[in-house]
Amino acid sequence: MTLALSHVTKRFGNTVALDDISLTIERGEFICFLGPSGCGKTTLLRIIAGLELAEEGTVTLEDRDLSEVPARHRNFGVVFQSYSLFPNMTAARNVGYGLECRGRPRAEIEARAAEMLRIVALSDHAHKLPSQLSGGQQQRVALARALAPDPEVLLLDEPLSALDAKVRESLRLEIRDLQRRLGITTIMVTHDQEEALTMADRIVVMDTGRIAQIGTARELYDRPASRFVAEFIGRMNVLPVAGGRLAGLPLAVPQGATLIGIRPEDVRLHAGEGPPGRAILPARLTNTIYLGNLAHLVLSVEGIEHEIVAEVPGHACKAIADAPQIGLELPAETIKVLA
Amino acid sequence: MTALTADRAAPAVRRSRRNRLAAMLPAVVVGLPLILFVLFPLAHILGRSFSTPDGFGLANYAAMLGNERFLRITWNSFAVTLVSAAVAIVMAYAFAYAVQRSTMPLRNLFRMIAVLPLFAPSLVQAQGLVLLFGRNGLINRSFGLGIDLYGYWGIVIASVLYVFPYAFLILSAALAVADARIYESAEMLGASKWRAFRTVTLPATRYGLAAAIFVCFTLVITDFGNPMVIGGDYTVLASEVYNQVIGQANFEMGTVIGMVLLIPAAIAAMVEKRVSAKQYALISEHSRPLVPQKDRLRDLALLAVAVLISAAILSIVLVVVFASFVHLWPYRMTFSLRHYAFDVQNGIQPLWNSIYVSVMAAGIGVVAVTAAAYVIEKFPSPAARGLYFLSILPAAVPGMVLGLGYILAFNSPSNPVYAIYGTLVIIAIANVYYYHAHGFLISGTSIKQISGRFDEASATLGGSRRQTFAKVTLPLLFPTLVGIAVFFFMRSMVTLSAVIFLITPNTQVAAVSVLYLQDRGATNQAAAFSVCIIATIMAVLLAVRLLLNAMGHRNVSLIR
Repeated sequence: MTLALSHVTKRFGNTVALDDISLTIERGEFICFLGPSGCGKTTLLRIIAGLELAEEGTVTLEDRDLSEVPARHRNFGVVFQSYSLFPNMTAARNVGYGLECRGRPRAEIEARAAEMLRIVALSDHAHKLPSQLSGGQQQRVALARALAPDPEVLLLDEPLSALDAKVRESLRLEIRDLQRRLGITTIMVTHDQEEALTMADRIVVMDTGRIAQIGTARELYDRPASRFVAEFIGRMNVLPVAGGRLAGLPLAVPQGATLIGIRPEDVRLHAGEGPPGRAILPARLTNTIYLGNLAHLVLSVEGIEHEIVAEVPGHACKAIADAPQIGLELPAETIKVLA
Repeated sequence: MTALTADRAAPAVRRSRRNRLAAMLPAVVVGLPLILFVLFPLAHILGRSFSTPDGFGLANYAAMLGNERFLRITWNSFAVTLVSAAVAIVMAYAFAYAVQRSTMPLRNLFRMIAVLPLFAPSLVQAQGLVLLFGRNGLINRSFGLGIDLYGYWGIVIASVLYVFPYAFLILSAALAVADARIYESAEMLGASKWRAFRTVTLPATRYGLAAAIFVCFTLVITDFGNPMVIGGDYTVLASEVYNQVIGQANFEMGTVIGMVLLIPAAIAAMVEKRVSAKQYALISEHSRPLVPQKDRLRDLALLAVAVLISAAILSIVLVVVFASFVHLWPYRMTFSLRHYAFDVQNGIQPLWNSIYVSVMAAGIGVVAVTAAAYVIEKFPSPAARGLYFLSILPAAVPGMVLGLGYILAFNSPSNPVYAIYGTLVIIAIANVYYYHAHGFLISGTSIKQISGRFDEASATLGGSRRQTFAKVTLPLLFPTLVGIAVFFFMRSMVTLSAVIFLITPNTQVAAVSVLYLQDRGATNQAAAFSVCIIATIMAVLLAVRLLLNAMGHRNVSLIR
């Protein structure tokens, strides 16, 4: 069930919300659209759902063009950020609503609603109104409702953002587990990188209406294609270089590189001058942020405008902080060229 | 590929143009009755006011402006309206403040007393005042006094009491919401209670206050029932329209005065709409509702005000009830049910007519205003903007002017509407369109609140527009629709102005009976009719409240 977007473009007045988006999603894949607010991820999801029309480009499912098909004929399940459960219907009737609209026999609707509620472990709450359920329960009903008509694709619009941290974590696993069991192609919109990293097969990082990079969590973390991706996923020290040198120190980077990045955990610190024969910069500690198992050390280096953050194990921080002199090493294999 | 795209593009353009026309269709269909029953009669009024024996011209207006009597009547109208509105606003603000912001006892009872006059025919104030202070009134007879209330002060007192409940409802709503944090900040900064009232409460309720002022202004200047009964020789514009049309069959002069009446009412309505549009966003989602704290002195003072005003309202209503049960007011004050025999022309029929008209107006009104609000929300188009204007236009049209327009527009066998002219149906329709703006705004607010996200959820689950409406929108809207139906029912039971020109001997309604009987001096029977109207409305309100409670809808306001 390949879902393909090609050259999707959408404008709101003069602002371009989506700029020439092309993307192919494989059957059974779990995809996350990740980006800051205003990057166009929700608009893209709404266009896939058929709730909004693209000005240009097409949405196809197995080579079938859906661009002109209204939302109600697409058979895509959608879970909204605000749940949008019908407040006048019980949980069971909410779940059965999709089949009710398709004119299925009553017995089938009831059986399917009961089955879906069992899957999301809410059988005991079938006859409650949404207002009588907790936020997490409401979201599970919304999920069951979206899945009940057996949709081709499941679309999740920031489904967990309104929940508190504990519920969010357990629902993450629950949704991921359910998606694997049903093998349903799923797209989730989120601005939470941790959510995207833990749930998705592939992540589509979006920035101001464009796709910044597509890849697995590991690919995005290890090989960010741009400064935006590097800084959006994880932390990154971004440093300007000129002629392959940083503060006079030659680095193993291409001559034309202008911007490099290094993750805080990749920065290596030495108490003292460090082992001879390696490229080491003398650094001065300006701040220590102790986090228990870890510590973030903020360092300044002569000739580098930006401060560099290094992440070390919590127990190692004292030794470095007490050292009269600190050597800062940027291992060549961990340096990422960003521009 | 290029050729294919070009081929597909052409029908797409055509389709979008057809779509645009199709999108206008619902607004046009829903707008047609408004054009027929609001715009068309108004056009007739306007046309007629310019029609003279020598063709079209300004002669009628010129005659009017050169007429000293007319100028005096206009002055009278403004003198009554400005004073009554000002007094009513001050009273209503104090009363609403007492109910919403104090800890005085019996606040719910006081709230009910304040809206009680809405259940009575719109001239009940004059009726009650005549019974109390008239030449044969209770006070003058009992104490041998010679108080003469007929004239300016009679109209002002009646008008104040007439518009008080409307002002109270608006101000009570404005005072109901408040953010406790702001009052705490004011107190922490050292503001006195009086200062907090001036700098926090008054500014926060300024939109409600402005709306109340304009509503009072419009209601008083267009009211003719009270001036007819208690005005004596003191004539105002609204009663002059009645005199010209009914008394002298002078439609031209009637329409000219109607136009003069339309202008201030229209200006007031326009300003009110503009002002009340800003009413929202004063309360953010983080605000904490204000809970009134005990303050003996303040509560005692407010209680005194509430008791005094309640006494005035209750004495008016109770004296009418009392008069309906005595043998012959004020000569034989023994208990009697003879006035409920209704041995007057038409008997009890006008009451049944009223109920029939009100039920019909409730049914038609709910469908009309909901259809308009639904179409405007769900089918946005240029035509929908026109529909919005038409929907709130009646707020600017005095009831008498609308009724007069109906005579001029439909009293001709060549007009298809003539088929219902002279029937109860046209009276119901007049009430629907007279109160259209208010009902429309209630349903519009409700539809906005439940719109967007449920529609989208339903669409993604495969629901068609019709299924969404029937299964989601309508059930969620139901309590509001009941509220709107009750609103149309109540107003249709008590109104005089929109229907006064449309009744025939066979289609007389109860409120008009009260006016006629009172006018002829049949005070007791007039009182009995008023009591029947009050009792009917209270019974309906009680029945609807019980029904809604049984269905689990407890927080629905039925009195608007």
